[in-house]
Parts: sequence; structure tokens; C-alpha cells
Amino acid sequence: MLAYIGRRAVLAIFTVWAISVLAFVIIQLPPGDYVTSYIAQMASMGSVVTDEEAQNLRIQYGLGQPIYVQYLKWMRLIAQGNFGMSMEWRRPVTEVIGERLWLTVVVSVAALTLTWVLALPIGIYSAVRQYSAGDYLATFVGFIGLAVPNFLLALVLLYLGFVLFNAHIGGLFSPEFSDAPWSGARVWDLLKHLPIPAVILGLAGTAQQIRIMRANLLDELRKPYVVTARSKGLPESRVITKYPVRVALNPFASTIGYTLPYIVSGSIIVSLVLGLPTVGPLLLKALIAQDMFLAGTIVLLLGVMTVIGTLVSDILLVWIDPRIRLEET
Amino acid sequence: MTKLGRTLRIRTLRSRLTAALVVGALIGVIAAGALAQSAGKSALIGKLEGPEVVTDSAKFPKTLKEAPQLAALVKAGKLPPVSERVGQDPLVIKPLHEIGKYGGTWRGGFTGPADFWNGYRCCSGPDHLMFWDYTGDKVMPNLARGLEMQDGGRAWLLHLRRGMKWSDGKPFTADDFVFWFEDIYRNKDLIPTPSAAMAINGKQGVIEKVDTHTVRFKFPEPYFMLPDVLAGSTDLGGQWSAYRGMGGFAPAHYLKQFHPKYVGEAELDRKVKEAKFDSWVRMFLAKNDWALNPELPVLSPWKTMTPINTPTWTLERNPYSVFVDTAGNQLPYIDRVVLTLAENLEVINLRAIAGEYDFQQRHIELGKLPVFIENQARGGYKVYLDPGDYGGDMIIKFNLNYDADPEIAKWFNTADFRRALALGIDRDQINETFWLGTGTPSSVVPADSNKYNPGPQYRKMWATLDVKKANEMLDQIGLAKKDAQGYRLRSDGKGRLRIEIMTLGGQFVQFTQIAEMIREQWKKIGIDLTVQEVERSLALKRTAANEQQLGAWNNDGSEHLFTFPLHVFPFELAAVASSGPLYVKWFHSAGAQGKEPEPRMRELMEKWKKAFGVPEKERIQLGKDIWKIAAEDVFIIGVIGMGPASMGVRVVKNNMGNIPSRQYNSPDGKTPGISRPATFFYKK
Repeated sequence: MLAYIGRRAVLAIFTVWAISVLAFVIIQLPPGDYVTSYIAQMASMGSVVTDEEAQNLRIQYGLGQPIYVQYLKWMRLIAQGNFGMSMEWRRPVTEVIGERLWLTVVVSVAALTLTWVLALPIGIYSAVRQYSAGDYLATFVGFIGLAVPNFLLALVLLYLGFVLFNAHIGGLFSPEFSDAPWSGARVWDLLKHLPIPAVILGLAGTAQQIRIMRANLLDELRKPYVVTARSKGLPESRVITKYPVRVALNPFASTIGYTLPYIVSGSIIVSLVLGLPTVGPLLLKALIAQDMFLAGTIVLLLGVMTVIGTLVSDILLVWIDPRIRLEET
Repeated sequence: MTKLGRTLRIRTLRSRLTAALVVGALIGVIAAGALAQSAGKSALIGKLEGPEVVTDSAKFPKTLKEAPQLAALVKAGKLPPVSERVGQDPLVIKPLHEIGKYGGTWRGGFTGPADFWNGYRCCSGPDHLMFWDYTGDKVMPNLARGLEMQDGGRAWLLHLRRGMKWSDGKPFTADDFVFWFEDIYRNKDLIPTPSAAMAINGKQGVIEKVDTHTVRFKFPEPYFMLPDVLAGSTDLGGQWSAYRGMGGFAPAHYLKQFHPKYVGEAELDRKVKEAKFDSWVRMFLAKNDWALNPELPVLSPWKTMTPINTPTWTLERNPYSVFVDTAGNQLPYIDRVVLTLAENLEVINLRAIAGEYDFQQRHIELGKLPVFIENQARGGYKVYLDPGDYGGDMIIKFNLNYDADPEIAKWFNTADFRRALALGIDRDQINETFWLGTGTPSSVVPADSNKYNPGPQYRKMWATLDVKKANEMLDQIGLAKKDAQGYRLRSDGKGRLRIEIMTLGGQFVQFTQIAEMIREQWKKIGIDLTVQEVERSLALKRTAANEQQLGAWNNDGSEHLFTFPLHVFPFELAAVASSGPLYVKWFHSAGAQGKEPEPRMRELMEKWKKAFGVPEKERIQLGKDIWKIAAEDVFIIGVIGMGPASMGVRVVKNNMGNIPSRQYNSPDGKTPGISRPATFFYKK
């Protein structure tokens, strides 16, 4: 087992390196560079960038150099623990991401928790009381969440929140708390703003989890051992939760692979619409502006999270499902 | 068909018909509601007004007063008294309506670290040496007390204000100009290419110190435009351009510690590493950034406290502000400005609708006007429209250099082709649909009040809807043959004449949708137009590479013809739409590179160059001639002008005072800077 983990770790490092190269290349692919994007942005705001200024900027940012030179510069900086300067934010990349990172984690964990807390019981109920009114209702709500585009739902809820409850539009904090140092009041403010983002983000994933849970559980409930357990006199709740549900949880463990990067990046479009200060909008803007070091670092971070997540989910599967054992190749 | 099939078919048709009727009725109701709203639209455009700078020293206030919190600091011995802080020559501004009260926090929204114009426009003073009056027409003294012409325009004496100080209390003197000129402007690492603003006819000028409070700008030839250049948003227009090393002056006492001439190289390297920059140049420019560095001394009424690259950009009053009102109160009245980050335009608009902003002019979308108006009472605000003075909220540029297809190149360079296409556009329809009727169908010439406007007859020149004439003109120039669908055929026999327009999505004006509407309109004159929406950077690349055929954009800034010529003739390569990238090269290399423009465009360019070196009266005449050529030859088609689509929709809370009912909307005027936000106040 240890040898297996060791092998995976070595492969992981190689994978992450490949991701960094790929990310850097792809980020450069759109025509132009950061300065071009900057000029276009200025033009949109009614300002003009002279050719001399553009030239000066390119020299100052070192954008005239070939890609591999810029990549090696980045790698050299990473070796020193410095992920470079973001051209758009004009701050070190670590600061820009670090500020938002753990807020992203909070929002994502809240959304995920909501998803699982809603989806698992509803899924179990749907399977056990198959074709009942409750089953249909739960499925219907879940599919609404799946069918309506997230950002539209976000905008509608924002508007309703304003019209009905005079709620503050978007963001994770009220204006007076957005920059304040951490305190009990600030935490409470955050908790007050968390429901809408968590609900919107959670709702879409809920439908999927409900259906998966329901389908798996239905398969299990038909199996002979369930009949045996019932006939042996076990109470119904124990019959369902002790065995079939644990087996049905199998696919959830394997989804941890892509859940981990999701926790870090959050949902991009919904965060953008809701004005959440998370990593998602940061990545989007960095990609559009071709802010190489920032975008590259975030993609690298997501890559590392995915690789770690996949490894964790593989190990988790081995642990919870006795039927899975390593093949000796 | 079986009986069942027919029944089903009838049922389906019936239900579809019902659905269509319901939808149609709904649309009718909504449209009626919108029409009812539109009746009050002209009430949203007020009368142009604004505060005035008082230059008559007899009217200056005798004693000065200050904000209560500053008075408390003076009492505690932490600040010098206000008369010492402001100096002997305050910049006196007569507020628009009344003397205001101190206090309050101004809430607004910004979209991220690239949105620095947001702060320059609202809160920088503006800190130009000279500046426009509220009509945008006259140049008045601003941070400088006066400007004197000498030696036939070859030298200009700039008189500074005695006792004026930077925001950290150190004196603002001629040394700050010399430092900028010698150590920043002339340093090739900081400024690799010199600025055209410091040059006349390509020859650079110099800045010299005359005495502590007098500076001389010297040029090898008469530079009559200098006052306009100092007043406008140019490289000599104040600290807003300091982030790239420009401005005309800089706080020498603060910046010397980051400059290799004054600090040893080892010491400077250490500082660079500590601050995590990769070169002293980047560190210097970041330290000189008004929006980014809270420690930078400034001359504006408010000073950045938390920088633009954080979620909240806050600015607080500058205790050494040289601005005062006619009663002697040191401005600004408002204590703080808090701009909150909203990375998405929808969020900013929603927050404005909800009344979370006190004064927001930036990023408000014209298309959402009905929702804004509807929520006025609830949000406690009022909506104002400030139409721009430029002729084109939307224009279409012909790329005269397009050479990938000689047939298209031939037609783009034929004046009557361009004119005919201009006549084929139904501007009223576009105005109603996209501007909700608030724009003006127009050629490219600026507003009638603009000093370079050539005359009212040029407003509609080649800018009306005349399908018959357009068809006749196109028939006459050689495009008479049409195919079966009615589209004109190419004269070289290669089939249908197809032209392409490049648009950008996600702008203040919905270029793509308007282009689609024009596409339908041009069917009537037999022109097949393809609309190609591209991403911004791609647009820039294609335009510079001469791949664009037609480009849609706006020509804002062109009302200040000589400081913003980009949308009058091809002036920069870095443009989203261009009339001719090869002409740009020709213009800047004085004929050595690029392609020589066709005669009328060449005439236009020569007049423009000439205007910099002649006195104002002649310059105004040259300006009018330039617009005449532009309107007659239709290098650029004007669609809708003088509209409020580009930063002209303003949302202001009812409890704010000294708010003008209409402002001069222009980047040169740093609107709302031209209304002197330092004089805005909270009534309660």
C-alpha cells in the first residue's frame, strides 16, 4: 500500500509540472498580451493609450521576450517561494490569491455541506418511498435547480432579496465590515450573507446527488441481503442505513477528486454575478487580461488540488469498500 | 393524414396560436409601460451648470475655516493652522448652489484594479495645473495660479501658489517640476519613449525653474496649444498619469528615496527585493501611483487610504488641500469616499438601483434606465442624463487601407460608396431602440456648442435616411447589377459584394445588436453585411494587422479634437477600430513609412498638425475645416451622437447638495470632476 502511495506521489509531481507548462502555454494562446488587453480595457472606458505608452509598458513588463524565457523566469521565482507579481493587481500573486483563498473555501464548503445535507436524505427518502408524492416533489425541485442557469437564479434571488427584504446586494460582507479586522460581529455578518450564495451553488449540485443516491440505493434495496436483514427482525431504519446506504456512498467518495479543486476555485460565474470575493472571478479576469503569473498560479493550484484530491479519493475508496483491493500488476 | 393526426395537428396549432397571442399581449403591455416612461425622458436632461473658479483676488475670502476633525487636530497641536496649510494663494471655487456643510461618506462602486479612472474622475480635484470651466470650453487656472505666454508662444511661465503644500505638509514648489523633468521624464529606464505632449512639431521642450514659485516651459517653436494640453487629460495633466511616469510634476522629497540618482544602488536593490518587485523601475512607478500608494503625497482634495487593489478603495480628506470655497471653508466638504468592489457590471447596476450608492456615474447602463426611474422613490435617488458632446456614441469606421480584397478596397476608397452606405441607415429606429430616444442622429461632427463645430448644416450631412438616393448613388458608381435576392454584385464578376463589420460585445453601447439592425437596413440598398463580434484583444490585433474592414466604436473625446484625435483620423495603432493603420505609420514617421493617405485625408492631417503651432483663432478655423472634411468625405459614418450611453447616466441621492442638473460629459473634463466634487455635500 505504501509503495502504491509512493508511486502515485512521484507521478503527481510530474503531472503537476506538466500542468504548469500546459497552463502557461494556453494562457498565452489568445492573440495579444497583457498590454493589448489593457489597451482594450482603457478604450472601453473612454481613454486612449498612445503607442508610445504601450511600447513602454511592454518593455517594463518584459512582455517582449519569448514564452520559454518568461516561463523559466516564473519557475525560478517559484523555486524561491515567490509566485510573481500580478500585472493587473500590481501586488504579489500570493497576496492576491491568499486574501481570497480561505473565503472561497468557506463558501464552497458551505455550498457542499448544503448539497450533501439536502441530497442524501432526500435521495434516501426518494428511493425508499419510490414513486410517492414526496419522491416526485423532491425530484422536481432538484431538477429546477439543475435546469435554471445558476447566474440567472442568482440575479433573480438578488433582486427578490432587495425588493422583499431590502437586503444588501451581493458580496459576502456589508460595506462597513468588508475591510474590518476579524471580530465576532464580522463573522456574524458573514454568516448572514452566506445563505444566498450557498443555496444557489448548492441547489444545482443537489439534483445530481439526489438522482445518484436514489439510483444506487434502489439497486441495493433489491438485493437479497436486505430481505434477509428485514426478515431477521432488524428495525427498518437500521436495515437501510447500516448497509445499503454505505454501499451507495461509494460514488460520492470517488467524486472527491474534483470536489477538492472546486472548493478552492468556487463557482466562477455565480461568484461573478453575486460579487463574491472568491478565487473564481479572479481566475476569469486574469485569463481575460492574460495576467500570466496570476492565472498560471491559480491553474497550478487547481491542478495540485485535483491531483491530491484524486489520490485521496482512491485511498478513501479502498478504505470504505472492502471489495476494492489493489491489483498486483 | 389520419383523422387523429389532423385533430392533433389542429390542437397543436390552436395551442401555439394561443401561446403566441398571450406572448404578444404581454409584449404590448410592457411596451405601453415603456412608452409611458419615455414621455418623461427629456426631463432627465437638465441645463448645463457647474461651479466656477474665482480669479478676482478682491473676492477671495479673508479668513479660512476647516472641517471639525481637522480643527480638533490643530487644537491638539498635531496640525498647523488652516491658513498655513492652504497658503497665501488658495484656489477659490464658488459652489454651484450654496455653501456646504462638512461631513459624510460618499459611497460608490468600482470594478477592479483597472478601474483607476473611476477615482481620477470623482476624487482627484482634478489636480491639473490648468483646467476647464464647467462648459468644457475655457481654460482656467487650477493648481497653478496663472499661465503667461512669452516669446511668441515659445515659452510659457507657470505661476504656482505661494504656501501650497503636498498632503504631507511639505511645500509644493518649482523643484517638483524640475525633479520630474530631469529625473523622471529624461530617465530612459522610466520613460523609454518621450511624450508628444512635451513636443511641438516633433521637437521636445524643456522645463526650467525660474524661482521657487515660477516654472518655465520652453519650446523650440511656438506651442500655442500648451494651455489646452495642461488643462486636458494628457501626459502633462496632473498626477493621474504618474503611474507611468508622466504628469509634469512629482513629489521630489518623497520619490527621491526610490531613485538610483539619490540612493545608492545596493540600498535601492535591497528596497526592491524587500518590496518584492523585480526592478527599481516597477517599484518607482508603483510608488508614484495615486490610486495604489497611500503614502504618496498628493495635491488632490482626497487621498487614497486603502489602495485600488483591495476590495474597498477608500479616500480621505487631504488636510493640506488648497481648494477653498468663497466663504473660506477648506474643501472638500465630504470626509471620506468609499468605493466598493463589484467585479460584475450587473452587480454595480443592481446596487445603484437599490440606492446603495450616493453618486455613481460610472458603469451605469442606459438600457436599464426604466428600472432606475421606477426605483427612484424607493432608493431615494434621482437619475440624470449627461449626453456627451461628441458626434458619435456609435460610429462606423471604413478601413481605407484594407488590401486583402482589392474590390472591397476600391469601394472603401470611393467617397460616394461611403456616403451611400451612410444614407442607408435608419438612425431614428436605432435611436429609439438602443438609446431609448435620448441620442441624436448625427454625422461625426461634435455638438453645436463645441467651438470646432463647422455649422448646423453639417449635423445631417450624409446622415439622414434616403434609401432612394443611396440606391441611385450605388447604381451610378458601378454597382448596379444585383443578384436574385437583391444584393449588389461585385464589379469584378466574382459574385455578391459582401462586407464585414467587426464589433465588440459587452460595451456601454450594444454595438453587435445595432450592427445587426443595420444589416437589416442595408438589405434595402442591396448591401450584404456580415457582423463579426470579436473579443477585445483580438479586435486590437486584427485592426493593427490591417484585417478589419468596417469597425464599430464610438468617437468620445473627439469633441476635444486636438487632444483626442484618435477617432477623427487614424492616429494610433492601438485602436479597436481604425480608418487606416498604414496611415498611422505615415503620420508618425513624417512620410518615411506606411502609405500616403488619399488627398482629402492628407489635407485633414496637415491641418491638424498645423493647428498646434498657431494662435487660437486660427486653430479654431482649422478645427472647423477638419470637421468639414470629415463630414463631407464620410471616412467615418456617424450613427447616433450626443447620447448618454457612455458614462452619461448618473444616479445621485436626494440628500446631496451642489449637484448640477447637467454636466459636460468628457474624458478631458474628467466628468464628474468638472463639477468639482469637492463642493458636493450632504444636506443632512
